[in-house]
Amino acid sequence: MSDEKYVHKDCRNYAPIDVRKGFCHVHKKEVPADTEVCAKFERIAKCRYCKNFCADKEKIELGVCEASMSKPKFVAYPDMVAVTCEMYKET
Amino acid sequence: MAKKFSEIMAETGQSLEYQAGGKAPEKIVDREVQWKPHPRVQKLKDIYMNTLSSANNEFSYWYTREYFMHDNEVPVVRRAMALKTAFSHLTPVIFPGELLTMRKAAFFRGSFPMPWLSEGFYMAKEDEFYQEALKRGSASVDEHSKFGQGGGNVTKSFDKVVSIAGKFGMRQEEIPVLLELAKMWYGKSVDDLGNKYEQMVPDYEVKEAIMRNIVCMFDSGFTLPQGREVINYYYPLEYGFDGIIEMAKELKDKVAGRADGDGIIGMNRLYNYEAVILAVEGMQAWVNNYAKEARRLEAMESDAQQKKEYGDMAERLEWLVHNKPRTFIEAFQMIETLHLAVLNEDAISGMSPGRIGQILYPWYEQDIEAGRITDDEVLELLELDRVVKTSIDCFASMGVVGGVLSGNTFNTVSIGGLTKDGKSAANPLEYLVLKAAGTNAMPQSTLALLYDEKLPDDFLMLAADVIKTGSGYPAFMNNRVAQDFLMSHYGHEGMNLEDARAWAIGGCLETSGCCWKPLHLNGKEYFIPGGAGQPTSVGVHFIAQPKVLELTLFNGVDARTGEKVFEPHNSKLESFEELFEQYKKYWQKTVDVLDLCNNIQHDIWRKNNMAVINSFMKPDCLDTGHLINEKGYRYNATFNVENSGNITWVNSMAALKKLVYDDKEVSLEEMKKAMKDNFGFKSARDIGSFSLMDQEKKDDSGNKYDELHFKCLQAPKYGNDDPYVDSILEDWENFFCRDCWTYESLYGEPLYACQISVSTHGAMGAATIASADGRLDGTTFADASMSAYPGTDKNGPYAVMKSATVWDHSLSQNSQLNLKLHPSSIKGEEGSRKLVDMTRAYMRMGGFHVQYNVVDSKVLKDAQRNPQNYRDLMVRVAGFTQYWVEIGKQVQDELIARTEYEGI
Repeated sequence: MSDEKYVHKDCRNYAPIDVRKGFCHVHKKEVPADTEVCAKFERIAKCRYCKNFCADKEKIELGVCEASMSKPKFVAYPDMVAVTCEMYKET
Repeated sequence: MAKKFSEIMAETGQSLEYQAGGKAPEKIVDREVQWKPHPRVQKLKDIYMNTLSSANNEFSYWYTREYFMHDNEVPVVRRAMALKTAFSHLTPVIFPGELLTMRKAAFFRGSFPMPWLSEGFYMAKEDEFYQEALKRGSASVDEHSKFGQGGGNVTKSFDKVVSIAGKFGMRQEEIPVLLELAKMWYGKSVDDLGNKYEQMVPDYEVKEAIMRNIVCMFDSGFTLPQGREVINYYYPLEYGFDGIIEMAKELKDKVAGRADGDGIIGMNRLYNYEAVILAVEGMQAWVNNYAKEARRLEAMESDAQQKKEYGDMAERLEWLVHNKPRTFIEAFQMIETLHLAVLNEDAISGMSPGRIGQILYPWYEQDIEAGRITDDEVLELLELDRVVKTSIDCFASMGVVGGVLSGNTFNTVSIGGLTKDGKSAANPLEYLVLKAAGTNAMPQSTLALLYDEKLPDDFLMLAADVIKTGSGYPAFMNNRVAQDFLMSHYGHEGMNLEDARAWAIGGCLETSGCCWKPLHLNGKEYFIPGGAGQPTSVGVHFIAQPKVLELTLFNGVDARTGEKVFEPHNSKLESFEELFEQYKKYWQKTVDVLDLCNNIQHDIWRKNNMAVINSFMKPDCLDTGHLINEKGYRYNATFNVENSGNITWVNSMAALKKLVYDDKEVSLEEMKKAMKDNFGFKSARDIGSFSLMDQEKKDDSGNKYDELHFKCLQAPKYGNDDPYVDSILEDWENFFCRDCWTYESLYGEPLYACQISVSTHGAMGAATIASADGRLDGTTFADASMSAYPGTDKNGPYAVMKSATVWDHSLSQNSQLNLKLHPSSIKGEEGSRKLVDMTRAYMRMGGFHVQYNVVDSKVLKDAQRNPQNYRDLMVRVAGFTQYWVEIGKQVQDELIARTEYEGI
């Protein structure tokens, strides 16, 4: 986790206003989605941080969810927020 | 220097930007009334003003994932399972200062695609989108700064954001899954399946030619399958979510295995109740996730006031997961939740809350009496609701969202009207609803004032004040005319006077069937109104009358594209009557083939994509066990035929009658040639602008068509109380409205006329060559259905109103008249009085609808030059209010060109 470069939209305290920016509940101000995080960063649950996510080696921004009941396993995308996913397992 | 159209108009004594009844002051006159919202509301409004229209795939993903797990499940249950999973997984997002919360998607202004309806419009751009997704751009301040001109529209891609349909921004990392999900629905969506079967209609090729040549604007079956209707919040307000589940379970026990005399769909009731339970469980999980988020924010919040507000919000949501609301704010949160839930169920434009001043009144009355809330706190909540409603987007193709809707979602609130027992319904809460629309003037919710002679004078005067803020609302709709329409059209489905009084506007100005239900609060019974009819966004939408006339004149061929649309009629059109009769035949052919194809699209929709949430909320679905697709709604005869360019057509027919047939000043062939040559003007496509103002003559055209063009512009025009032209309107309306009844919807019900233009007068005008009234190729039609063409109404607003009321408006679902007034024309209390009196006069003449743009045209021109200074400028377009910067230039120009009344 520590090696990865995070941006604001990866933070649990970031409430997305739109595709470009969000509201930081810690600093109580608007922040750009894609700029670097501060020391108060708290990683939000996303498919890319889930043990059940298996990245597709050939397709960008796609993979499968190993926890899905479908056969074959259903597609998943790494940037999807998973705070409501009952199958989420933190890596 | 080539002459401009505006100069030629001026030479004929007419003028684009015509000032009637006086002369506007030289200096810009601002709007007279300028109120401010509460500070909390202003902060949230400021966020909205700088927010981009954003979309993600969360709902689409979970819906698709669940749906494809259940092959062979009963369709309604399968759909409900998918809805439940999708709602349960929406990420809750709450912002500080909110008292009413929840949203469509995880953005302040969010939406998402529904590939199960239609995936083609963005699949067609797959390669382009994929390339965008591959890019790894860096931030560019210059590119960001361009977005000011489009308000919240993401008109082009930037950085890591991809523009879809010129409106929605999506993160590029979501584009691959957008396309992956779309592929899963290929051949299975309502669009694709509907198209497969509509091709079996014998005249399908004619339908395709109609659509290709923009004789009709769009297919309603897969673009916006629901909407332009009034929602009904009653059951959750009366029983709570747990109560509905309990009720559905009891009813399941009663109907399981029983046909009860209906051997075709009697057994379906079991599956329908099961679907209702699943859908409600999904909504409960969604509310509960928001409650948990509010608790999380409460725990981390350092500011005491904000911490308490998060805590109170959490407590409200936790209660509402299971129970019916106890207080005004709980009831308000409940209807907010229900509204957003229905909008997430389908692609919908025009899901109107209806008469919230009546619906929320029980809690208002009891909270005020008990001292639990003040009028000022209620006003603040009503202002907050306007931020929520204005933030609603509908994800659909550019043609629909831009060309038809101008980005508007028509969450119209109705005020006024009558109570169940025929008294004025303007209660104290309705005054606050009206006031809040002025103190927080935003496009949503647009207000519809259901005008009745019984409404108190101070209510109407307050409405005049709100209009003076420049909001463009409230629009006035005639209560009596609406009741007449409802009782005549829905009489066979049981509509009576009592139910007719419950009506409200669905969408921008669609008269919608409603009913009363008894609500109980602390031992007291109230009757609240709510929607009881199917969508009216459905049917044949929109047919361009001037285009059908063009096809008539050119023997079935589109003069712009050269394509044959209809079989040639080969009539010589030797008399005006012959012309009119042939026009009617092409019109009927257009409606017929579109009706058949749309019926198939909607039938596919009802088989696989039926409304479950909207259905269980509408009487009498829970009682009967049948949802919308099985005619569970009380009123089902809601499919309609919508026209566009009504007055441009009337003026064109008048010019042909006068110049070709009566006075014989020009032959029909010469007229057609002049039209095709655009009266010697350059093509709008060549000059790259479809705006009235920009049209200019060809450099080498000489004076060949000048005399004829002059005569066309001088020919009798609608809006001047001139029987020569008004009688054409009367004849047409008497034919058109009754003709609609001869077509049948998939529900076996007759159609009816709906006469609004929304923004189609711009888009459809762009595809129509010059017309005999002197209008040029590619330029807008007259707006609405009863508005005069810009600059042609020379005798004042009362003359327009007399022209408009030569026919019986209750034959139609609506009619639409827009007037532009200079702020000085209605200044002060005396001005307000004049406005109310003029409105009353129109209503007494039998007019159905009038709305006013109160604005100095100089402001609009300055806003066009300097849009960055006018982010919050609102204008009334045609049935809706929209931010100036979010509408296209051709409609902006048409608004500037509309006759400005300096005195009334």
